[in-house]
Amino acid sequence: MGLLEELQSEIEARTLPGGGWASGNGRTVGIETTCYALMALRGDPWPTRRKATEALLRTQNRNGSWPAFEGDDPEGCWTTSLASITLRFMQSPHAPVKNALRWLLSNQGRESHWFWNWKFRTVDRRVRFDPDKYGWPWFPNTVSWVVPTAFSLVTLKQALPCCRTEHVAKRIRLGTEMLVDRACPGGGWNAGNGMVFGATLNAHIDTTAIALLALTAEDTPAAHQALDWLREAFGDCSSAYSLAWSALAFLMQKDRAADLCITRLHKTLSSDHSIFRTETLSLAAIAINAVGGGTNPFEVI
Amino acid sequence: MNRRDLLVASAAVTGAALTARLQRRKYTRDFRPPSSRVAVLQADQYSDKLDQLVYEGLRLFNLNVRGKSVLLKPNLVEYIPGRPVNTDTQLIGAAAEAFLRLGAVSITVAEGPGHHRDTDLLLHDTGLGDHLAHRKVRFVDLNRDELIKTKLQASYSGLGHLWLPRTVLASDFVVSMPKVKTHHWTGVTLSMKNMFGIVPGSRYGWPKNVLHWAGIHESVLDICATVRPHFVIADAIVAMEGDGPLNGLPKHLKKVLMADDPAAADATLARLMGLDPVQIVHIREANHFLGNVSKERISYLI
Repeated sequence: MGLLEELQSEIEARTLPGGGWASGNGRTVGIETTCYALMALRGDPWPTRRKATEALLRTQNRNGSWPAFEGDDPEGCWTTSLASITLRFMQSPHAPVKNALRWLLSNQGRESHWFWNWKFRTVDRRVRFDPDKYGWPWFPNTVSWVVPTAFSLVTLKQALPCCRTEHVAKRIRLGTEMLVDRACPGGGWNAGNGMVFGATLNAHIDTTAIALLALTAEDTPAAHQALDWLREAFGDCSSAYSLAWSALAFLMQKDRAADLCITRLHKTLSSDHSIFRTETLSLAAIAINAVGGGTNPFEVI
Repeated sequence: MNRRDLLVASAAVTGAALTARLQRRKYTRDFRPPSSRVAVLQADQYSDKLDQLVYEGLRLFNLNVRGKSVLLKPNLVEYIPGRPVNTDTQLIGAAAEAFLRLGAVSITVAEGPGHHRDTDLLLHDTGLGDHLAHRKVRFVDLNRDELIKTKLQASYSGLGHLWLPRTVLASDFVVSMPKVKTHHWTGVTLSMKNMFGIVPGSRYGWPKNVLHWAGIHESVLDICATVRPHFVIADAIVAMEGDGPLNGLPKHLKKVLMADDPAAADATLARLMGLDPVQIVHIREANHFLGNVSKERISYLI
């Protein structure tokens, strides 16, 4: 049995009785965890996938968004974009994704409101960012951050070109500008604060890789600088989670470092897969499969 | 009663109602002990000697942790070589060892880093992962733990409830282990602010921006009223001064502070850093219900 099959087997063994996967040692469906695991098991086995897809569909909020986990409060959050990417990848019915897109388009960073825009532009300049360039928050009524914006951009870019209305195009443009604006001065991205109190902050590997996925085919200096930064950073990386995201980013950027990443990923994943989080195992499986020529759920048009 | 009287009476009633609302107690329980105990231990550097120092320090408090599950909550933010932003690995290990020697049935080190989604990488880079594995101590990533909807026991933030990790709520004895730092938003980050880290990223994001919008001081008070640390072991051997939590210069205070009251701990630490604790909003407010800030109500064991 190859590593990919071993990972898939371990992921399948962790399925909750009612379908889907929990985060950590939990017993309730975690949306992020379930999304990655479903993507990792796209090929087979069917009953596990079917139950997990059903779990994902039943947890969608009435407003089209997704919660962080089953039983969560119903206002919706950043997992909405991830669930949309997953359902599209699983070729599920279109209606839930359409509702999710509607929710995503109605949701934006709080800095887009004129009052907060004014505040961040004039009296609150401690964190350097341009409030005119906004993306998506982790949760409604908070400001934009890199990861939720990147996932939302991937979701919108994956939407069929026919659905790319003027509004969608505007949100893609603004979200892209927001990512470029929030890049760390040394290259790459962290949560979203490249510079605070005049001091530069360092980038994170996983966040940089996720942002690069969203900026595929965007020919910006920030993306080039981030790619250079990521090539340097992943060499010392010991984390399977960050390596998996890096491999996917390099693959999308058509960078040969993708293969090196997979080699390192093989070394990092010990024979005892039980010690790794389900999210990590799933992302590793997705990356190994995609770099090996399989489909990449984060591929954008 | 003419129209003028009616207007005056209405204004008086509205004013009284507003005043009553402002003065309404925002906490449901008064945790303050008659007197709090604090020990300030001298520690020149991070070394194996911390095992004994921490054990002897804990013995001063005659803590009853026999048979209890102990949760150590360090401050793990980011790995920046040369910058003391995290609670030191050796101090965390020493605390784990000491509580086991005192009869704790289990030790869990748990944290939900606020900026970094890859906790495994942070554990590796800081050396904490290997250190805990060597000591056979479990680590739980609070950002991805099972969550329980929890009514907040104070109402400063207006959030009403938070989803909090089962691992924290199920622990018998919670120890806040902050890295002593000045902080650009809250003035300081000590044992109470350190409890921000129990709020899960999977539910509230990285960073936990919902709490920022609800007010950092306010959220700190609500969290600590709901999960009040039973004990504090603060890393002030090398503290950080500047624009924490990430930017600043090392400050060699050469101290490990222990306390059975988070407000007393933070007040003492603020004084050690040359700050007036009542100038820090959440410490001043904590003085009303979470613990003792006044020196007169703190007994210093060392």
